[in-house]
This record gives sequence, C-alpha cells and structure tokens, in this order.
Amino acid sequence: MPKVLIVDDEPFIRLLLQQTLEDLEDEGVELITADNGETALEIIRAETPEMVFLDVMMPKMNGFDVCHQVKNELGLSDVFIVLLTAKGQEFDKQKGVEVGADIYMTKPFNPDEVLAKTREVLGMAS
Amino acid sequence: MVPVNIGKLIKKREFAPVLHRLIGALGSPVIIEDRDGKLLLATDGAQRQASYPVSVFDEVIGWVHGADKASAIAALLSHEAASEFEKRTLASETLNKYKEITLLYDMAEQVSSSLDTKEVARLVIEQAKRVIRLSSVAVLLLDRESGTLQEVAADGKQLSTSQQIMPGVGIAGSVWQSGRAEIVNDVKSDPRVAPGSLQVSSLMCVPLKAKDAVVGVIKLGNGEPVSYAADDLKLLTTLASLAAVAMENASLYEQLQDAFYTTVYTLAETIERRDPYTGNHTKRVMEYSLAIGRTLGLDEEDMARLKLGAVLHDVGKIGVRDSVLLKEGKLDDDEFEQIKRHVIYGEEMLCRISRLKPAIPGVKQHHEKYNGTGYPDRIKGEEIDITARIIAVADSYDAMTTDRPYRRGLTMDEAFDELRRFSGSQFDPQVVEAFFASDVMEAFFSANSRKTILSFD
Repeated sequence: MPKVLIVDDEPFIRLLLQQTLEDLEDEGVELITADNGETALEIIRAETPEMVFLDVMMPKMNGFDVCHQVKNELGLSDVFIVLLTAKGQEFDKQKGVEVGADIYMTKPFNPDEVLAKTREVLGMAS
Repeated sequence: MVPVNIGKLIKKREFAPVLHRLIGALGSPVIIEDRDGKLLLATDGAQRQASYPVSVFDEVIGWVHGADKASAIAALLSHEAASEFEKRTLASETLNKYKEITLLYDMAEQVSSSLDTKEVARLVIEQAKRVIRLSSVAVLLLDRESGTLQEVAADGKQLSTSQQIMPGVGIAGSVWQSGRAEIVNDVKSDPRVAPGSLQVSSLMCVPLKAKDAVVGVIKLGNGEPVSYAADDLKLLTTLASLAAVAMENASLYEQLQDAFYTTVYTLAETIERRDPYTGNHTKRVMEYSLAIGRTLGLDEEDMARLKLGAVLHDVGKIGVRDSVLLKEGKLDDDEFEQIKRHVIYGEEMLCRISRLKPAIPGVKQHHEKYNGTGYPDRIKGEEIDITARIIAVADSYDAMTTDRPYRRGLTMDEAFDELRRFSGSQFDPQVVEAFFASDVMEAFFSANSRKTILSFD
C-alpha cells in the first residue's frame, strides 16, 4: 500500500495537501502527516513512504536537514522528496539540489500539478 | 455518497488506537459495521444484543452492535464522524479557494506580460476552462469601425449562431449596454434570447471594462443545465478585469507603435521630397532591405532596426544645402564632402530620440564599404552593422536603377552585374547573394516602381 507523508508545521498546508490528494486515498494510498522534522524522520525510518512533501521552514529540524539525512545517511534515496516552501530565491533552490531533493516546489502550489505529479511518482494513472 | 466513510474513520492513524483503548476500557465486546452491513471490526466474544446507529446529521453511516455499553462507542463514532465531516467540508472549500488564488496568480503573471490582444483572449479562455464548468466560451471585443462586438477567440461548441453582437441584442448585447455581469441559468426562458440562437442551457456573461467603458464581453455556457453561482461569477469577473487591463495595454501599445511608425515614415518622406528625383526611393530601399533581411533570416529585433534604418537612412540630408543636394551636374570634391556629412547629421538627429537609437548604425554606416574604404569611419567587414550592410546594397541598387537627370537608370540585370562586381570590396558578398535570392521581384512591384518591365535579354 503506497504511502505519502506530508510534513509542514502549518496545519493549513497539511490540510490543503491532504485535500488535494484525497482522491488517492480512495485508490488505496495512505496519507500520513507530521508537523516537524524530527517526527518526519521517525516516520520515514519506520514506514518508508514512497513520497514525501517536505516543508523547509520548520521548528526542531528544517526540511533541508531532513532531506539530507534521508537521501544520504539513511540510505533511503528511493524516497521521492518534494521540498515545499514559500521561499523562492535561486539560492534556496540550489540548496535543495545540494541536499538531494527530487523536486523543489514553491508555495502557493498548484493543486492540479501536485496531484498529477503524485500520480506520476506513485505510478498511478488517473 | 456517504458524508463520511466509517471504515476509513475507524482506521485513522490518530483515532484507531484511541478507539481500541476505549473498547478495551469498557470491557464490553462490540461489532462495528458500515450501513451496508459490511463487517469492519469485531472484538472477541461480541454478540448482537442491541444495535446502535452511528450517524452524521441524521444520516446513518454505520452500526455498533453489542451490550448496552456499545452505545457509548456509537456516540463517540458519531461525534468523531461529525467532526471529520466538518473538517472535510472546510478543507474542500479551502482547496477551491486556494485553486482560485493559484489561478489568479498564474493569470496575472501571464496576462500582464502579453501585449497581444488575441493571446490575452486565449489565456482567459484557458483559465476559465480550468475552473468553471462549461462547454463553450468566447471572448468578444468591440470593433470600433462596425460598432459591434466581434469574436476574437473561442473554445468548445459554438455558443451562438452569430459571431457578432449588436448593441442591446441578446444577453451579451444587454451586458454590453448595462456594463453589469449576469448569470442566466435557464437560457431557454430568457426573453432576450432569440429562439434557437443559443446552444447552451446556462450561461454567464461579464463585461470587459477599461476605465469604465465596456470594450468587450466574455461569455461562457454549458450545454447541460448547471447552476452558476455568485462565486463563479466573481471568478469570471476577476478574470475579466485582468484581461481588460491587459487588452487595453495591448491596444494602446499597438496604437503607439502605429503613431510612432507613421511619424517616422512621414519625416523621412518629407525630407526626401526636397529632391524631386528621389521620389519613392525611401519606400523602395525599405522594401529591398526587408526582402534581404527576410532571406538572411534576421530576428525580429534586427528586422525592426533594419526597417527603421532603411526608412531613415537619408534623413540627414536635411542638413545639406539645396545648392549641393539639388545640383544638376556632377559634384566637385568639396560638394561631395558636404553630401557625405548627411550620415553624421542623421546620427545627430536620431540620437536624441531614444526609440530611434537602434536605427543609428544603419543610418550612419550605410556608406561604409566592406573593404574599409567607405565613410565616415572606414570600418570594414563585420564591424559594419548588419543593417548598414543590407541598406548599402539596397540603396546602391535603387540608385543604379533609377533615372537621373544626367544618366539613365540601369536594367535589373545590369545592376545585378554591378553588385557582383563590387561584391567583397564595396558590398558584403552574403548580402549580395541574399538580395539575388530574395523575393525582390515582389518587393519591386509592391514599392510601385516606375519600371514595370524588366529586361531579360
């Protein structure tokens, strides 16, 4: 059963992403949420989700560090990581590339694109 | 459609452990089923002594069977389901609003960067299709000449049989006049609609306004009846405002370009008129130059500079006195030096007008020679701006083929021979070849030259 992890300290964003991917739940995908980086890492270690939406600016541990750990230290480079952030400067995109993120999305995100991309990554056509 | 899926509810990550602990704490086994009787959960030893419904706003979504303590579980599940329902409704509406925001961001970004009316119209249509249920959509703009609204872009099945709207006629015509957006969910009953003229059951129509004047309308509709609501109209109205501003800009820009170009051309022609023998020279040089430019595949920017440079290449002649400019015989050295200064005068005139600065190289350098023996700066080869190298060929060709008081003009063949002779020395060989290969014949005729027959013996 494929799993998608949504990590953001803002409840509003977690809610929006869950709602965006709601249709996938009916198709057998499990949506999990976390509100900080540490919990996110625990969940990733325990459940190895196929895809993670990861906010960058979070307390306890930021998204860049989580991504770096997942991709480099945990040996879980197969987990598809989408860095989601309100920051859009070139500098930050570069950091995203450096820590090994698969894609970098800025907020506001386009819900249709997010759903389409998720389907693509999970290999689930609409 | 169940308002909440009880199966998903009891398996929810955060809720499931709580539910199980509670069932354990009550010490009374239960059976939980959905409303179709499908078994979801059964603890050991459960019996169906009594059945308690789980409901959300009076709608039963499932059942809890067991001893009377099972009612507590049913109550908990009902409460949790109501909470979940509210959350989902809120999330769904929030997502819709969020989608609208993203749409408006995209729309504003794209629309404001476009200076083409048709492109803006197409963007509006694309965006409308994404968020509003419709089977047809069209953008109509005011055509000042005919005083009617004309269709500029459309998508989907034809909204109506006519692509042109008269003031006050039909729903679109009335929105045009009133300047107020409208929803008509039952088109067939609307008295303004001529029977059979519209192919939709429901429609919305909003005006495109620029500074309070209506410059067009957007109309969209659906073949099957739908209920367009106030927030659909609001969205469409917002799209319309963005579009109207962009289209107004596009229109003003077009008018500006037009006014600018007409002025430049008039200036050049006026100066040309001082010499009665050079009638239409400017126009022909422009046509030849553009033909060469097209053959060489110049980009849009260079083509624009070329056009300006070709039209203005002799504008500096205004600084040359009549006695020299209109002299009938050949010029002596001193007089020739004075004529040569026209390229410098041209530069001086144009450098004060920022929009004309890109034309300066064409104007200043069109008498330079490929081998560096030209004037005013004796630059050579690629140092000479491409527009100048082209104008040089066009200008020389026209001079050769035009009659002068002291000599007849050459034929096309003779002129081509001359160009070949001086290719590499005076002229850029690539430009000469491009000229031969260009649609110069068409250019020739379109410039209304006095020569209508070209000799080919």
